[in-house]
Amino acid sequence: MSATQGLLWLMALIAFGFCLRRGGGMAIRAAKDGGHSLLRVLPLFAAALPMSAFLAELVPADIAEGWLGHESGLTGILIASLAGGFIPGGPFVSFPLVLTFTKAGAGVPQMAALVTGWAIYGFHRVIAWELPVLGPRFVLLRMLAGLALPVLTGLGVELLLPFFPNALLHR
Amino acid sequence: MPAFLRQNLALLVICVIGVAAAIGTYELRGPAAFRHALESAGGMLLFILPAIIGGLLLAGALKQLVPPGALARWMGADAGIRGLAIATLAGMATPGGPMAAFPLVLVLAQAGADRGALVAFIFAWSLNGFQRLLVYEVPLLGADFTLMRFLVTLPLPLLAGWLGRMIPIRWTPPQ
Repeated sequence: MSATQGLLWLMALIAFGFCLRRGGGMAIRAAKDGGHSLLRVLPLFAAALPMSAFLAELVPADIAEGWLGHESGLTGILIASLAGGFIPGGPFVSFPLVLTFTKAGAGVPQMAALVTGWAIYGFHRVIAWELPVLGPRFVLLRMLAGLALPVLTGLGVELLLPFFPNALLHR
Repeated sequence: MPAFLRQNLALLVICVIGVAAAIGTYELRGPAAFRHALESAGGMLLFILPAIIGGLLLAGALKQLVPPGALARWMGADAGIRGLAIATLAGMATPGGPMAAFPLVLVLAQAGADRGALVAFIFAWSLNGFQRLLVYEVPLLGADFTLMRFLVTLPLPLLAGWLGRMIPIRWTPPQ
């Protein structure tokens, strides 16, 4: 178990301890809630991880280098931002895909833009949840307010990259 | 869209792409590549499983400790940069997927949170939700990438929330 996983478990146990102190009923509800989420998430993982592993085998080793490689610069950041919006599903899809693209030669700023594009535009989420719950005017407002964020993220990561030389290496 | 389809859309799309990619791998790259992909997927699952279980227990406990009603009160109709900052923190603390977050946004809107705060809340949740960072991003993409991306995107929900107040589109929450 890595250090971050240990930290995560420490925080989980502390929070669970607080629940216990508020009474056994709350602790049971918390554990049940966690268990339900696990049952919902596991099938997604069981499908998404093989999917991205197969994609990694199919994608030629250098295909991402031209379009999304570090040399692609701002153009690559723009392409990645838009492509991120089309990634369906939750983090169990987007992050394994980042690994796939990284193996195929994608650059770190471009991958940060991809993750941000997925988080900000997330078209499947808009269609399935935001539009029916909040309405088209709110979707338009939020999209306009966030339009530039994926590109800003890519450029910001480009600036910070010298301070994080190990980002996405050996993954 | 029927509720079942809506809730399982992601799984459906993943399965379709996954099966197509599996067939493609077997046909184009051969059985060895097929086996290699399955093994690497299985290894990855075992590697992140402890983090997933720990993270979901944390999320379950936090949901009990911080009910949504308390969040709504904190965000209130508090204008100014402070309202945006509180909304950003609340968004990062909100666990769960869109099926939990968007209905919560509606509740916050009906309770009087301003639209800039709602925009900041959604972006903070989708960009930097703590649960997602800890459960998925750190185990899969590593601490360096996660920290760097987090630092760059930390102020962005504030910026977008401020912009959201400026954009002249009239919106009232559906009742």
